[in-house]
Amino acid sequence: MGFADHFPALIVVVLFIAAFVSPLLFRWVEKATAPFVIAALVAALIMTTALLVRVQQSGPVLYHMGGWAPPWGIEFKADLLRIFILLIVISVSLWIFIYAVRDLKHELKKEVTGWYYTLFALLVGSMTGMALTNDLFNLFVLMEICAIAACAIISIKEDRECLEASFKYLILSAMGTGCFLLGVAMLYMATGYLNYSLLQLELVETLTLYPRNIFAAAALFIVAFGTKAALFPLHVWLPDAHASAPSPSSAMLSGLVIKIYAFALFLIFYQVFPRELLDLIPLNEIILWLASLGTMFGSIYAMLQTDLKKMLAYSSIGQIGYIFMGIGFDHNLALIGGFYHIMVHAVTKAMLFMVAGVIIYSTGVRQIKDLAGIGRVLPLTMLAFTIGSASMIGIPGTGGLISKWYLSLSALEIGRPFFVLIILASSLLNAIYYMPIVISAFMHQEDFQFKVKPVPFFMQAALVVGMFFIVIFGIFSKPVVTLLEQAVISLF
Amino acid sequence: MLSKIIGNYYYMVAIILFVIGMYTMLTHANMIKKVIAMNIMDTSVFLLFVAIGYTHGGQAPIIKEGSEAIYVNPLPGALMLTGIVVAVSVTAYALSLAVKIYRYYGTCDYDEICEIRSQE
Repeated sequence: MGFADHFPALIVVVLFIAAFVSPLLFRWVEKATAPFVIAALVAALIMTTALLVRVQQSGPVLYHMGGWAPPWGIEFKADLLRIFILLIVISVSLWIFIYAVRDLKHELKKEVTGWYYTLFALLVGSMTGMALTNDLFNLFVLMEICAIAACAIISIKEDRECLEASFKYLILSAMGTGCFLLGVAMLYMATGYLNYSLLQLELVETLTLYPRNIFAAAALFIVAFGTKAALFPLHVWLPDAHASAPSPSSAMLSGLVIKIYAFALFLIFYQVFPRELLDLIPLNEIILWLASLGTMFGSIYAMLQTDLKKMLAYSSIGQIGYIFMGIGFDHNLALIGGFYHIMVHAVTKAMLFMVAGVIIYSTGVRQIKDLAGIGRVLPLTMLAFTIGSASMIGIPGTGGLISKWYLSLSALEIGRPFFVLIILASSLLNAIYYMPIVISAFMHQEDFQFKVKPVPFFMQAALVVGMFFIVIFGIFSKPVVTLLEQAVISLF
Repeated sequence: MLSKIIGNYYYMVAIILFVIGMYTMLTHANMIKKVIAMNIMDTSVFLLFVAIGYTHGGQAPIIKEGSEAIYVNPLPGALMLTGIVVAVSVTAYALSLAVKIYRYYGTCDYDEICEIRSQE
């Protein structure tokens, strides 16, 4: 085997090594730590790109850990969809990290910054692992790493709200993993396999022998991933956790972490459970209705908020609804829409949290009513907020339109125009709470009342990159949609 | 039906423990009790896994040439070792958070914390 054959494992390993080396490096050569983590992320990105080229030429790549083939060994699988998610996870976290290096200096105590880099790299590493793994128990271990790292980048700030929020998050996510492991036990009991591909073959027959085990597993998986991805009635932990965290952590959690769980649920529904299961229990309907309720209620709660970051957090609950809708429609156009929304929302929500971070850094303001007139003192920042809001609403020329367009198309295609109405109504609700902020920031008569610190170059540059990509996704959507079409076609 | 339940009582015990753990974790206000309940819940799943691997009258899976003895499935046991390590680290982290919160409020009870916050 050549060096390039080990890329699927090396992507994860490089990030974990970076995680363990960075606190040591921070103690000895402090200046080199951040460039070192950036180098690890860039290396992972290059390997993912190489993998993408290889998959496009010769089909999915399977990698066996330590040379042990399944059912004994752990298997990593790289197909187009998984690489699409990997590219989003790694490039968005690279972008957030560059922003974080500057922002953390004022949000965290200096001693813990090295540890923050550790948690950040662990979080990214576990997410790449979750996207690549083809083994249920391996998924469980990576989920727990991800959960601890995600809670720890909230609680590292060590003020009261952060600690309480991360305790609540930890307890509910422990409930989620408990349910997940019980579901895995149900499947293992009936089949004796943990590998996705082997399970799918075996479950076709098992479904007639032990249907109850598999129904229980499906229900447990919906609860487990619903809790972790903040699907509507299970979202209670999200607003506190995402709003109280340091801004780069909020950007990571809202932008990437909730989506990787939605993707894991998608993989289990499409690559583990056989299609015959859908004839017996209406899994899709359940997810579809919960997602629709989420898009409405997330927006309604967001309207009631007075704190900017809380509002953004509630808006995430609405937006994750669109992604679950993409899974729930069970149609190839909807999946394209859902996956496009994973990409667009990752960039948009991360950028909006960065905007909130810049506002807090520069003026210390968190309340929405105090933002009046801020557009004249921080024009670039509020321009970024405007473009981000436009993408959340789905105004033409931004990425948000494309995903909603494909979701609506597939709703019409399967003959359920009611869901088009839901998508339209929730877009209107988005406009109701995003637009007043934009309008009062630029049009308010009186001047902004608070002192303004100048914004560092790297934070502004990060916002410009975000704006650029949101507009690019809105105008040049063709290459990504073609890639997704190729990827999705293999599922049906 | 009843004989099936009695025959598979270890599965039932695991599920009952799981529900007890989950109920306590979600309803009790005390943070330490929540952590204990989290452990009960995790342990019940470990119990279920190990019970799946057990074969009646089976031996430890050390294979000798030519012997036709029945062996216990070793895989669930190996998996659960990893599971226990994960549960320990989550517990340690949750307890450390509880300690930090105790330092701010002087209590581990969520109801009392809510009262303290509302008085501020």
